[in-house]
Amino acid sequence: MLEAARTEGLTIYTYSEVEDLDGFIGNFNVKIRKKARYTTHDCNGCGACEEICPAIGPSEFDEGMSARTAIYTVFNQAVPLVAQIDMDRCIRCGLCEEICEVDAIDFDQEDEIIDLKVGSVIVATGWDEYEPPKGYLGYNKYPNVITQLQLERILNPNGPTVSHLVRPSDGKVPKRILFIQCVGSRDLNKNTYCSSGVCCMTTIKNSKLIKQHDPNIEIEVAYMDIRAAGKDYEEYFTASRKQGIKYIRTNVSKVEEDPETHNLKVIMQDTLRDSLGLQEKEYDLIVLSCAMVPPKGIDKITNMLKLETSQDGFFKEFHSRLNPIDTKIPGMVLAGTSQGPKSISESIAQGRAAASSLARLMSKDKYQIKLIRAKVDKERCSNCGLCELNCVYNAITLHEDGAEVDEILCRGCGSCLSNCPSEAITLRYYREPQYETQIDAILEEI
Amino acid sequence: MAGTMRAQYPASIRPIRMNCTGRVTPSLMMRALGKGADGIILAG
Repeated sequence: MLEAARTEGLTIYTYSEVEDLDGFIGNFNVKIRKKARYTTHDCNGCGACEEICPAIGPSEFDEGMSARTAIYTVFNQAVPLVAQIDMDRCIRCGLCEEICEVDAIDFDQEDEIIDLKVGSVIVATGWDEYEPPKGYLGYNKYPNVITQLQLERILNPNGPTVSHLVRPSDGKVPKRILFIQCVGSRDLNKNTYCSSGVCCMTTIKNSKLIKQHDPNIEIEVAYMDIRAAGKDYEEYFTASRKQGIKYIRTNVSKVEEDPETHNLKVIMQDTLRDSLGLQEKEYDLIVLSCAMVPPKGIDKITNMLKLETSQDGFFKEFHSRLNPIDTKIPGMVLAGTSQGPKSISESIAQGRAAASSLARLMSKDKYQIKLIRAKVDKERCSNCGLCELNCVYNAITLHEDGAEVDEILCRGCGSCLSNCPSEAITLRYYREPQYETQIDAILEEI
Repeated sequence: MAGTMRAQYPASIRPIRMNCTGRVTPSLMMRALGKGADGIILAG
């Protein structure tokens, strides 16, 4: 990220949101709202304001497990490393203003709207961790049930416990940990898809990390399938079993808590070892391996860009096998998990594919389209709107004097033509009289 | 495509090439049936 920030010709707008986007390939008009940080460019990220600020709130970066001040830097490696003020928490005491050596605090700062003209768009909106409903498998009900991302923060040297593996209820080191896989995924009642083996590998990684902390901690993984399909993944999985991490093929449906010890009880049946029957097991800590889901608030972007989404809620690629990079909109491509759950290496590969696809496009000064396009005869058009509704490429818009086809978005499929009750649409190179003559000629002998 | 599979079909089946099945209109189908076609296969 630092390298990107230092690259010439690359402008990064952080703490910003795309408010509006319209236009077409080569000519997109974008409105970006740069949210007010209430600190100026002079801020050098020294952190003096953070030390003195009296107001606090939950840290988003630490998944709500630690506090941060109202004026804060998002995390230690943030780019740019500048402070910002959360006005919902700020009490306007002015202490930060007093202590700032470079006079970088500006309470009167306002959001800035930036207008840009761009030629193409990469949609790389990422993912969020599935949030289980309150009480599901004890989530948000029992303190010692945490999610994978929360575990990552606990194990992190920059995290809320400075990488000491302790459990939330009493700060003690858990001796028995259970990972529950596929929470919120592969589930007919929630999300039906599999997060492409990301959570499987994350669990194996975190289990191995925990074993490094303390080899005596017992770790069990409740799984449906372990998807270790990737370079070196299977060997990694085998190594984890050699370290003593136990994998139990079972579906955990209920988690109960002992209210005194805050330990968790699970009844499970190891489906690969029938002879053991139903076992009641007790754990000190449970980690929920949750699905990857589209990020919160993504609907705003979907509607703004007029992008299609697939069944799993992620953005729809042009072709799932032959072209997972482009979208149906020319000049707009997908990168990373915006298109679907995937691992880091796959995200990078797709990101580079997106960049090279656009580089090829943008290196020319003209964009060629085929001539096979639909055209509306405005005199016959009755403005019924059926064509606009039916067009999968969003290429038709109704105007006062009739419908109009955008020749760049149109792909010449002809769905509008067959749906038009007024027969007002023609398709170049595939016109009605051509077919009528063909039919007549073939059936002439009859 | 039948040719590449070395499959055979009777000469009474006459293909008309289109760019997309979405382009087939009811009026075209009625015209074919009206002019004496026994049936229509929409393959795509």
